[in-house]
Amino acid sequence: MKIVETARKWVIDRMGLGRLAESLLYRRVAKSPWYQGDGTALLLLVGVQVVTGAFMTLIYSTSPDRAFQSVEYITRIQPMGWFIRGLHYWSAGITMVMLAVHLFRQIMLAGYKSPREGTWFVGLGLMVGLVVMSFTGYVLRWDERAVYAIRVALNMFYRVPWIGEELVLLVQGGPSLSSHTLSRFYSVHVVFTPMLLVALVGYHLYLVVLYGTTSMLERQGPVHSAEHQKELYGEQKESEQLGEPFFPKTMADTGIMALAVFLVPLAFTLVIGPRELGTQANLTSVAFPAEEWWYAWYSGLIALFPGWLAPIFFVAFPAGILLLLVLLPLLDRGPYRGYKHRPVFATAALLAFASILFLSDLRARSPWTAWPSNDPPPVPHGIKLTAEVEKGRQLFVKYGCNSCHAVAGFGRKVGPDLAGHDRSLSADEIQGFILRPPAHSSMPSYEGRMSKEDLERVTSFVHVTQALFHAK
Amino acid sequence: MQRRTWLKRVVHAVGAFTGAVVVFPAFVTALSPVLRRPESSRWRVLGGVANFPLDQVTPTTVKVGDQSAADPLDSGLGDQLVYVWRQAERQFVVFSRSCTDLGCPLNFDPGSEMFLCPCHGGIFAKDGTVKAGPPSRPMDRYANRLRDGFLEIDLHSVPPMS
Repeated sequence: MKIVETARKWVIDRMGLGRLAESLLYRRVAKSPWYQGDGTALLLLVGVQVVTGAFMTLIYSTSPDRAFQSVEYITRIQPMGWFIRGLHYWSAGITMVMLAVHLFRQIMLAGYKSPREGTWFVGLGLMVGLVVMSFTGYVLRWDERAVYAIRVALNMFYRVPWIGEELVLLVQGGPSLSSHTLSRFYSVHVVFTPMLLVALVGYHLYLVVLYGTTSMLERQGPVHSAEHQKELYGEQKESEQLGEPFFPKTMADTGIMALAVFLVPLAFTLVIGPRELGTQANLTSVAFPAEEWWYAWYSGLIALFPGWLAPIFFVAFPAGILLLLVLLPLLDRGPYRGYKHRPVFATAALLAFASILFLSDLRARSPWTAWPSNDPPPVPHGIKLTAEVEKGRQLFVKYGCNSCHAVAGFGRKVGPDLAGHDRSLSADEIQGFILRPPAHSSMPSYEGRMSKEDLERVTSFVHVTQALFHAK
Repeated sequence: MQRRTWLKRVVHAVGAFTGAVVVFPAFVTALSPVLRRPESSRWRVLGGVANFPLDQVTPTTVKVGDQSAADPLDSGLGDQLVYVWRQAERQFVVFSRSCTDLGCPLNFDPGSEMFLCPCHGGIFAKDGTVKAGPPSRPMDRYANRLRDGFLEIDLHSVPPMS
């Protein structure tokens, strides 16, 4: 079909596609292993979120009276709305995972070494933007978690020296949580940060096309300068064994990995569905909020460090990490790339990654949280407590002992497990502790508000459980 | 001056002028919550003193937003929970519910008479002092006063995110 061919050529010429395809697709690059698809996966996931997010704004309402209902509407009433919201949420979570993977891989391989420092800096900008997105996004659900998430962020800003209070007013949009707050988060999540991200993604990819990614030869021996790197890279991409055509070879490899990653949020959406909504935003009911799971590690870290560090930690830690990453190309100045010749940096990256997993798990268990419960500790099957001891078991709840203490693993783990605790304590010693706990302990004093009888009952309950669970 | 140099300056000036005209008002708008300092105090009634039993910690709600003429959008969440501890007949302490670590909502446990934080293990005694966890300062207290048998608090006497 001559006419089709002519039309095709016309379009390519007039739309300026020839030069574009030549510089982007029909070029040779150094052999790129499949795992470089972590970047492609990020690109795909961000794209999925742009599309799903844009379509949710068709329904979302930024009024604080309606925001929560509009999210419910998207989830329950809007045709395919549950799928759009589910995919948006799970893609966001997996984006945070892939962001960590991508970042740590670059540290392992020294992807920031010359001439790729610019690619690294723009990438760090993208990281900051994505962190902002992953936080502001779940605020828009406007459920209980959302308002406490805002408060947590505001309390962090409040710690910034000199301008803390001003920052709080700026982010909150006034002296209290109001419709100004929601509008601000919406506009940052939907307009400002996405515009910045689109620009930075374009720039990041431009630099990747210009300078390529860390290649095999660069990882094998020392690379002494940007010129040396360019020489090595140029040699590889033209070589039959060490190079490959970007399209279709590299795109196919990395694209398949990106697709594999994308199947994860897709599967979660289909199996679990969109993120379950909490109670509508309010500042009155008893709430047990938690951050989204991708911040669990940070939450665990916050719970671990001592109180005196708090005033500086919330500012110094994130600022310090960012500064460290920005300075990384200056700190890591050796001629070697790849992890084999850089044991210190590679170990540091692995340790940081392992810490994230460890802290996330710790946060999931949160052994530091005390909370009231109406359930008395269970009694082993077939055991009948005497009336007095049974009263002691009920008083264990009434006096909030179980808000902190577990009995044989059942209950909160803030204080010592009373069934497993030092069994040599006499009744007098236990009672002394209840009435006049040592000053350094977080145990409250019950002096003056627990009758002698109640004290006896609680003590005998503790003694009986110790005997019971010791016998087992 | 060369024509080319002069033209370069024109380009820069046009850019700077247009940029300033757009960016300056944009910044003023964005920063307005900081520039417009809120009034120094805002008193709200919590309720008659009879609502608060002696020596008890009583949760009670206070209306926060007021949709005043100055800011008709200052609403949204309306009520906020605070804790009132009646220490003596005419002596009250009104605590903010926000944990002083990161602002999570403290829950008063009447059994142990402690304020428990759901987030990172903050625990406060009945008088607001830190018993455990990462908080580094005691619970925030609202300024309060008695007017004609009603307890009032000043919303602006605690940090803006409390």
